[in-house]
This record gives sequence, structure tokens and C-alpha cells, in this order.
Amino acid sequence: MIDATAPSPPVRASRRRTHLDHLLVFAIIIALWSLATWHFGTYWVSSPWAVAIRFVETVASGELLRHAGYTLSEAALGTLIGGVPAVLLPLLLRRHPVVVAILDPFMVGGYGAPKLAFAPLFIVWFGIGMESKVALVVTVVFFIVYFATLNGVRALDARLVQTAQILGASERHVARSIVLPAAIPSIFAGFRIAVPYGIAAAVIAELISANRGLGYLVQNGAMNFDTTGVFVAVLMATLLVQAAISIMNAMEKRLLRWRPPSEPWLETGT
Amino acid sequence: MSPLLEIKKLGKRFPARHGREPSPWVLQDLSFSVAEGEFLTIVGPSGAGKSTLLNIIAQTDTASAGEILLGGASVTTRDPRALKPGIERRIGYVTQDDNLLPWRSTIDNVLFALEVQGKLDDASRARAEKLIQAVGLAGFETYYPHELSGGMRKRTALIRTLVYDPPIILMDEPFAAVDAQTRTQLQADLLRLWEMGRKTIVFVTHDITEAIALGDRALVLSKQPSRIAAEHTIPIPRPRNVKDIFALPGFAATYEKIRADVQ
Ligand SMILES: Nc1ncnc2c1ncn2[C@@H]1O[C@H](COP(=O)(O)OP(=O)(O)OP(=O)(O)O)[C@@H](O)[C@H]1O
Ligand SMILES: [Mg+2]
Repeated sequence: MIDATAPSPPVRASRRRTHLDHLLVFAIIIALWSLATWHFGTYWVSSPWAVAIRFVETVASGELLRHAGYTLSEAALGTLIGGVPAVLLPLLLRRHPVVVAILDPFMVGGYGAPKLAFAPLFIVWFGIGMESKVALVVTVVFFIVYFATLNGVRALDARLVQTAQILGASERHVARSIVLPAAIPSIFAGFRIAVPYGIAAAVIAELISANRGLGYLVQNGAMNFDTTGVFVAVLMATLLVQAAISIMNAMEKRLLRWRPPSEPWLETGT
Repeated sequence: MSPLLEIKKLGKRFPARHGREPSPWVLQDLSFSVAEGEFLTIVGPSGAGKSTLLNIIAQTDTASAGEILLGGASVTTRDPRALKPGIERRIGYVTQDDNLLPWRSTIDNVLFALEVQGKLDDASRARAEKLIQAVGLAGFETYYPHELSGGMRKRTALIRTLVYDPPIILMDEPFAAVDAQTRTQLQADLLRLWEMGRKTIVFVTHDITEAIALGDRALVLSKQPSRIAAEHTIPIPRPRNVKDIFALPGFAATYEKIRADVQ
């Protein structure tokens, strides 16, 4: 039997090619990094080797993963609390453009404000625990996803809505079966930008004041002149972002099966 | 008995485009009626306003003048927000563009109306499957619209309306995008289905042969501002064999008369 999901030979070849290119770029980065270490000394720039060893050690001891898990839960919780209303609001307000117009300047303001600057304030309000970090992630994620979803809802083809209404769809059916699926690509585009920002926001809030999390590790490493510790924490945060993006890619692929595939040469190897 | 659908002195002009003089009347003083169970065809040149007319009847657009009566009661509105597309499921509409939901497979597009109307059961599913067979889409049930050809999409759009059996069906050139042979087949299928259920059908086309083959009566629209230029009762008895429609007595004469009226 023919496996229809298996990539065709040229695609497979181009994927292998992409993996090779990834390796090459990785090697260049490590080389430049080693050069910097050699030039400035390990006191200022920790060596790739030392970072790798420390990374493995702290993963093995469970310490790194514990801190990463803490940061991850803040980011995930904040993404959920900020993201869900950011998706629902434009869907619910589709029939009330006046309300959208009234909210608009405030949303634009919220979108444009440097939310990371609120971190100290949130720590004053919500304490040094998880709440202040989650609050910061919420403010970062909410506005990005809100505008992405709003764009998707606005780009909706009115004829599809009319067709559904002719076929007997109520307002609720239209929202669920037309507006939401039509907006899914935009919603994903929003989360794709918002989630890395959200993780960064959690780390930065921890930097300012926390006793747990990757931001705390960065802060702690810097205070003890332990650049290796700083690098390991940043590396872990980067991996978290990568994992989040992979999960979103997989979800998107599943949810957007109905879309014609993009140009093959634009497809990434992953 | 009053006609099922009555169009009275209908007029339409679109809003003036920015910075231009008021737009012309697309439809003006257009009147006709459709009896229950009648198959009415409307022919007219491209740009005559055929789709505009159907949009107004289906209430996806407003009229600028005149009135529409459905079952004797006025359903006219000038306010776009008061429009009731399909007016409580009494009017089905197979639009010129297929307007399929791109995130639904063929079968799910066909079942959409049944689903939202709460009529999804084994009987209606079987009916949907039969229609899919009838229009030659068997085997493509799980395909998404972008994986279908233009003609297949139009056939899907057609049976998506037939499956829930609205009392009035508007069709805007549903067979324009298929080859001649498939078209004759689909015409025959449509006639067979219609003769079984005797729905009221308003069928727009710019193909005179098709208008004669299908209709009880053919209206000819004039150029803009369009109104009814002529009306012809089709004298060919039913059941008709659409494959040999040219050979049937009365065809040639009717064709000539209609062609003379279509400018
Ligand atoms: N939304 C609109 N705004 C402005 N003018 C429009 C709009 N829709 C249609 N028109 C105009 O109305 C006229 C009739 O268009 P319509 O689509 O009804 O023609 P048609 O008879 O269906 O033609 P065809 O056979 O090519 O489908 C055209 O001149 C067109 O420019
Ligand atoms: Mg048209």
C-alpha cells in the first residue's frame, strides 16, 4: 500500500538538506561563541563546553527542570488567562462594531504600552509569588491575541455568513461554525507571536523579584558572577520557547488540514 | 390562488461610489410572479442583474424600490440589518460562486444545513449520500473544497441546498462550470428530482437551450436597467429528454423567439 502521508523523495531530500544547513549554522554559532570565550575569558563569557556540562548536571539533579517548570506554569497560565478572553471578545463583539470602536483606543494603548515596565508594579500589587508573573504574561498575551483575532474576524467573507444563514444557521451556529474556523489562522498567528513574548515576560518578572524560576537563576548567576549559570538558564528558556512553538505547529497542522498547502519551498523542515 | 412568490416593480441601485455621480439603476420596474411548483427560468446577458435579482429575493441584499411578496405576505425591507437571508428557511439559494465552507469536507458541507436545522438523522444522511452519488461525487466525501475541481464544487453547492428540501430554490447558473456532457446529465437529474418533489424553482442562466430544456416558463431580462423584456411559455411537454431537446417539436421555434428577445 502507498503511504500517502510519507513525503515524496524531493521533499525528503530537501528536508535532509535543511537539517544539514541547521547543523552548519549551529557549528558557526558554537565557533563564534568559543571565539568570544577565548577573547574575553571564561569569567565574562562562559564556554560552550562548560555550559553543556552544567546543563546536563542541573537537568540530572532536577534543579533546572524544577525552575523551568515553574516558569513554564506561569507562562502557560498567563497565556490561558490572557488568550481565552482575547479570542472570545472579538467573536462576541462581531455584531457590535460600536463597542469595538469604543474600546479601540484603549486596546491600542494597551497594545502599545511597554508592559514589561509594569513588572515592578505587579510585584508590589501581587507579591513576589507566581501571581505577579502570571499577571504580566496575561497583559502581554492578551493584546497581541486580541488584535490578531480581531483582524481574522474582520477579514471574514460576509458571503459565507449569508450562505450559512440561508441554510438555517442561527447566530450561535454562525459564531461557532463560520466565524471561529475562519479566524483560526489569525488566532494562531497571534499566539505564535504572543507565546514567546509571554515566556520572556515570565522570565523578566522573575529577574526582578523571585526565588524560583529561570529568571531567578539568571539573576542569581549574575550576582555570583557565574556566567555559566546565566547561560544555562537562558538556554533553557530558549528551549521552552522552541518546545512551545513545536506544539503550536503540530496543533496548527491538525486544525488547518482544510487549507491548501503553502508553497513547498516556503515549508520549514520541521 | 395567489402566486407563491411575487415581485412587484422591483428596483435596485447600488450606493454611489465615492466621488462619483449616483450609480445607475441596475433593475427597474421589474415585475413577475412564480406559481407554486413552477420551474421558472430567467435568461439575460452578462451584467443584466440576474444575480442581483436573486440576491434580493434571497434577502442577502436590499431592494431600492418595489416589493416582494412571499405566500401573499410582504417580506420587503430597505434596512440591510433587517434582512433575513433565506427568510426562515423557505428560500434555498445556489449562488453563482459556490461559497462552500473551506474547513468542511464535501460530506460535511452537504450536511451543514441538516446539522444547523437539527434534522440530522439516519434518513437524512442516507438522502445526502444518495445525492452525492447522483451528482457523481461518490468517493470524494472526505475531500476539502480546495481539493475539488470547480465543477465538483458547484455540484456540492447544489446538493447542499437540495438536501434540506426548501420549498423555493433559487439557482444562479449552477451548471455554468461543467462540461456539456456532465451538464446534460445534471440537468436531467435536476428535472428528475424536481418532478418527484415539484419544488418551486427560479433558475438563472444565460444559456437559452438550458432555459428551454428546464423551464415551464422563461423570462428574458433586458440590458440595464433591466426589466422583463419578454416572457415565453415553453410548449414542450414533460417528461422531457434533455439529451434530445433540440429534436423535440417546438424547440426550434421557441429558441428563435427567445434569441430575438435577448439583445
Ligand atoms: N456590490 C455591488 N456594488 C455595485 N455594483 C454592483 C454590485 N454588484 C453588482 N453590481 C452591478 O450590478 C450589475 C449587475 O450585476 P449582476 O452580478 O447582477 O449581473 P449578472 O446578470 O448576474 O451577470 P452574470 O451573468 O455575468 O453573472 C453590474 O453592472 C454590476 O456592476
Ligand atoms: Mg450573475
